[in-house]
Amino acid sequence: MPPRIQLSHARLAQLPPAFLNPTLYASIARQCPQQTQQQQQRTIRTVVKTKHHTKFLKLSRFNNLPSLPKLRASARSAIERRIASDTLPLRTGVLATKKGMTALYSPDTGKRTPCTILQLDRVQVVGHKTARKHGYWAVQVGYGHKRPATMTRPMLGVYAGQGVAPKERVAEFRVRDAKGLLGVGEAITAGWFQEGQWVDTKSNNKGKGFAGGMKRHGWSGQPASHGQSLTHRTMGSAGGSQGSGSRVIPGKNMPGRMGNEQHTIQNLKVLKVDEANGLVLVSGPVSGPKGCIVKIQDAVKKPWPDLPGILPSLETTTQQVEAQT
Amino acid sequence: LQPIKVPPPPPSARAVCKEPLKVVDAAQIALLDPSGARTRLFSKTNPDAAKVGDILLVRQKSGEPFAGVCINIRRRGVETGILLRGQLTRVGVEMWFKVYSPNVEAIEVVQRRRKRARRARLYYMRTPKHDPGNLEGVVRQYMRQRAMLGKGGGSK
Repeated sequence: MPPRIQLSHARLAQLPPAFLNPTLYASIARQCPQQTQQQQQRTIRTVVKTKHHTKFLKLSRFNNLPSLPKLRASARSAIERRIASDTLPLRTGVLATKKGMTALYSPDTGKRTPCTILQLDRVQVVGHKTARKHGYWAVQVGYGHKRPATMTRPMLGVYAGQGVAPKERVAEFRVRDAKGLLGVGEAITAGWFQEGQWVDTKSNNKGKGFAGGMKRHGWSGQPASHGQSLTHRTMGSAGGSQGSGSRVIPGKNMPGRMGNEQHTIQNLKVLKVDEANGLVLVSGPVSGPKGCIVKIQDAVKKPWPDLPGILPSLETTTQQVEAQT
Repeated sequence: LQPIKVPPPPPSARAVCKEPLKVVDAAQIALLDPSGARTRLFSKTNPDAAKVGDILLVRQKSGEPFAGVCINIRRRGVETGILLRGQLTRVGVEMWFKVYSPNVEAIEVVQRRRKRARRARLYYMRTPKHDPGNLEGVVRQYMRQRAMLGKGGGSK
């Protein structure tokens, strides 16, 4: 800990610029609230995410002043680029379970459309992520129910603090800004999605265990006959010899554990919505086995759905959050 | 230690609808087969149902009617399908038909098997020894009988 220094304004002017030692400057600034105009200009207000909790804004090491051109390699610029690219959905998504697949037939055209049945169950908003505290906007959504007797006291405290029943599974859905945050505790039903809109689904694909090279990387193996001895599905070679480094290059594709990783399937059409039963039917397959948890959100590569009357609570929530920030 | 009180969970749609696949299937079948005739034709409990080994004729919305021996009935709710083995210009052809598809206008039993087949999948019929061969004669006879009866029965 640096020693506490009692200084006058005159002494402050003699100190090196703020960017050379922001921590020292911060401790001094706290003791001398009346700063000169120059020093006020030098106060850098960038929010920098830190691993640990900080009581005050961490000052940037770089000259991140309003008068200077924007730093391209900064958290603020990254967020602005992300918003400009319009890849963040305007509203949250939901968690659902993959129940199985079937097909829908159109009685008029006779067309058969395979579809996956996803079921929502007690989906509620459990929390928020805000730009001021966390550096980004997101909605924490919970699915299902977990018996309080099976939960740890710290987690029970979290749910009690939020005023929401404990959830079996919680996931975050990143949104563009505060307007996308729903009220904590608000239930989301299957009616959140419209028939005919596009969605992206994220779920863990089926685990394949320890998979060999032919399955994992599509290698062709060796011939079945013509003298091959005990070598039909093996790797063959792992690389060149002395000329290619005298070693196996790090990152070399090899057999290993395959599957059970998040897989995103984009641009699935919502074919049917059954709000009473909590069902959303999306066209085509969804990754993962039956019973797996699926994250569904508006498709980022399609125009955002036009939803005039579905989000009445957004106005009040936006006001609340903007009042806090 | 005081127990930490958490609110109760909201009503569960999963408790309301425990078997969504069956619910969706039932809704689809009600839409595609309102009279229930197609379901009865392939129902396990119906003694007059079409069984594996029977010669069936499928009339489609577009295309020629296809006749063949039913060698497989794949039961999957609204996705139930039948595999018919017939001949087209003397070449053996197997075709799958979705029983509830709107493109399948009618399925008629041309000839029932004499005795119940002793297995569910009659893939042995692919061998030359058991191949039923050309069914044109059987179908012609059935059509003649139907015309004589004045479209009495058989069509579902």
